[in-house]
Amino acid sequence: MSNLLLLLILLPAAAALVCYFVRSSAVRTLTVVATGAILTAASLGLLGQGTFEPIAVGSFLGISSDFLVTVLDFALLAVIFFYGIKHKSLLIQVFTLAQAALLVWFEVVMLKHEAVPALMGDQLSLIMVLVISIIGSLICIFAIPYMKEHEEHLHLKKSRQPQFFFFLVLFLGAMNGLVLSNNILWMYFFFEVTTLCSFMLIGHDATEIATKNSVRALWMNSMGGLAFVLGMVLVYMKTGTLDVSAILAAGPQGALMVTGVGFICLAGFTKAAQVPFQSWLLGAMVAPTPVSALLHSSTMVKAGVFVVLRFAPAYVGTFLSTGVALCGAFTFVACAALCIGQSNGKKILAYSTVSNLGLIICCAGINTPLALTAAVMLIVFHAISKSLLFLCVGTIEQAIGSRDIEDMRGLYAKFPRTATITIIGILTMLLPPFGVLLGKWMAIEAGASTNVVVITMLALGSALTVVYWARWGGSLMATREEGAPAEKQAALIRLPLTVLCLGAVVLSVAAPWFYNSLLAPWVGAAPFTMSLGSLNSATGSFAVVPLFIALGLGLLFAIKAASGFRKAKIAPPYLAGANAEEDGTYIGPMNGPVPFVANNMYLGELFAEGKLTPIFNLLAIALIVLMLGGAL
Amino acid sequence: MDTLILVIIGLVAGPLLGGLIAGLDRRVTAWFQSRQGPPIMQAFYDVAKLFGKEKMVVNQWQILCAWVYMIAAAVSVALFFAQGDLLLIFFVQAIGAVFLVMGAMAGKSPYSHVGAQRELMQILAYEPVLILVFVGIYMVTGSFSIEAIWAQDMPLLAKMPLLYLALGYALTIKLRKSPFDFSTSHHGHQELVKGVLTEYSGPYLALVEIAHWYETILVLGLCALFWHTNVAWMAVLLVVTYMLEILVDNTMARMTWRWMLKRVWLIGMGMSVVNLIWLYAG
Repeated sequence: MSNLLLLLILLPAAAALVCYFVRSSAVRTLTVVATGAILTAASLGLLGQGTFEPIAVGSFLGISSDFLVTVLDFALLAVIFFYGIKHKSLLIQVFTLAQAALLVWFEVVMLKHEAVPALMGDQLSLIMVLVISIIGSLICIFAIPYMKEHEEHLHLKKSRQPQFFFFLVLFLGAMNGLVLSNNILWMYFFFEVTTLCSFMLIGHDATEIATKNSVRALWMNSMGGLAFVLGMVLVYMKTGTLDVSAILAAGPQGALMVTGVGFICLAGFTKAAQVPFQSWLLGAMVAPTPVSALLHSSTMVKAGVFVVLRFAPAYVGTFLSTGVALCGAFTFVACAALCIGQSNGKKILAYSTVSNLGLIICCAGINTPLALTAAVMLIVFHAISKSLLFLCVGTIEQAIGSRDIEDMRGLYAKFPRTATITIIGILTMLLPPFGVLLGKWMAIEAGASTNVVVITMLALGSALTVVYWARWGGSLMATREEGAPAEKQAALIRLPLTVLCLGAVVLSVAAPWFYNSLLAPWVGAAPFTMSLGSLNSATGSFAVVPLFIALGLGLLFAIKAASGFRKAKIAPPYLAGANAEEDGTYIGPMNGPVPFVANNMYLGELFAEGKLTPIFNLLAIALIVLMLGGAL
Repeated sequence: MDTLILVIIGLVAGPLLGGLIAGLDRRVTAWFQSRQGPPIMQAFYDVAKLFGKEKMVVNQWQILCAWVYMIAAAVSVALFFAQGDLLLIFFVQAIGAVFLVMGAMAGKSPYSHVGAQRELMQILAYEPVLILVFVGIYMVTGSFSIEAIWAQDMPLLAKMPLLYLALGYALTIKLRKSPFDFSTSHHGHQELVKGVLTEYSGPYLALVEIAHWYETILVLGLCALFWHTNVAWMAVLLVVTYMLEILVDNTMARMTWRWMLKRVWLIGMGMSVVNLIWLYAG
């Protein structure tokens, strides 16, 4: 057992070192693919062994592992402080110094240094390990051919891939460590490692904008780190233990402790890029696409929601819980609204990520068994579909040289495979019977019993979501000329795309069994019973498998009907005039061809980013103050 | 077994009733305008004729989308008759709505694109209102499933009057009635041509038409739930509601999507929220 755990945490670190020091691209490819395969197998093996009680890790070479983590903690803070000086960012310096000072005081004066089991493995941890190890590995594999082409575009003299893959692979180990931690100090350590990794990856291209955005990401997340330390200290003051499972078992312990948990949630908010911290994640899209895919789906932001969700039992039934739900719901609707105004594909994905994370955090705040089930469902299915979509945008960008959805119009004509996979990815984010919608359905049913503000925001956000996905999906569809050349795709690009696409669909079918075997035992009072592949509860039912069968058969029939389309008469577009020979024009005045265009409506007057962002940030800050103040 | 029979009844009766309502609608409208109007069965004749037309398409996506729209609309009606979960029924209906839009965007015609964008605005307007209506029903019955409504002694209308009015907005939009008929117009000679329907033709337009009948039955069924205690009053409620729809349709001009979004979000959502506050307080 503990060997498997160490493998999941330390193998990526070891593989990262290999990538860094061996500069051969063949060795790198082999290392990354092998690490991915082993991580996948190990995560499945861990699942096979089932949940386990918190266990101690022991020592390395005679040094206690707790001491080692403490030393590494300070080393990490020193590295971050160094970057704070290098980039002349006062904020980073202040936040890091404050963290270090608080941590020294905590370790020396307060802490009673008793043995705490370092790692735990409940269902939530196991699910997170699966998400990180499988999806994360697929993204790392996708990165191999992607980065090769990326560097060819940049004409670098010396490849910077060793450094890139060092942080990319290390990230997976840090995430596995974070979700398996039982000692809150360990959790903090891994939390900080993800901060550093994301900073290095965002700034990887070393352009002016990349550096600027990476520094912003670092100061915001350092602030999150400070909030984490502060929360940890407050919680320890009251409970006197670092043992996370003990803290969760004890439940809320009065104002001081709940406020501490509130600060830890705030740390989660910064990492999950909740409004007003969304700007660091939006800035992160300057990084190469695999980084965005990793940050948005299986790592980083999921670390944020994980922390909030992990501590949910520690604030159940308090005002803090309502506050968390309000903040999450607000981010859900605010970012969905901002998303409407975007035409940049990566930005749409970024806002939709933040919006979905808001929904997950809202569920954690609603804090009923149904809501917590919804939160985990959303984490899993969002990770799959969102990583798929990011990889699709990356592939499209390298193919057409643009990430604007207006430029992706009619993509199917030239890149049928990528376009079809993207459309499937969009549909799995948006429609029943797929997993993300199942999660959203649960979230709304859970939210209905809370309060009118939360549920109104959920209803609005849900509608806004439909608009930006549907128009993107529709614009990819197009006519393909008969006998057009087939699309070429590198094998290492096709593999992750196909696996994720199949995964999004197949796992959605399996959602009831996933719920029954992992989620029902985790939430305790199981909200659903399962029969014939449907999830039934007193408040409602979702017929997952019957819907899949009915709609699936329907879809097959529709595809069959559509496949014979060349036998039908192909009509040119209706233009209220004579069509010209040249595509995209009609015969206008003077008998000349007049080009026509139709773009999406981005509703600039209602959903302008520049106008709305400051207002949303202010409102969100007010809500966070309300949340933390109310906890006192 | 009973459920299965109900589902089959729903699937068969849905389009028949929907087509009949479409025919009646045209007759009443004609009467308002002092015209004779077409026979009541005209809607069926139209669809039968469309099925006989030559197949003309822009590309395969359009065929796919037309079929999925029809199938999703039928499945949502089937779920409704199976007394399923209201929220789920609505989300299944949304599959159809999304595919109709995507099909319209698959071609190149700008008229069809403009219609598709406007259709999305309509979804944006009615979706939150409908979700809040379902939340209201949940607050009254303690469940999202239709089955739970029958256990109530009082008609839902008594506790959710404002939500019913808000539902009226959603109904008007869903039925494509003026002043909210700007994603497709009744008459092809306007500036929009036929909007979202411009590129659908022949048998595929017939599919879209049948899907629309299913949707009509779904939203009217939703209205019917508000007076579940008595069939006669349920009928009265439906007739009055539909007559009002026709009246509004004939007396209002087509407005813009901005007007709609502001109206529905402010007034529709406002009424819904006020009604929900009563329910949460009660």
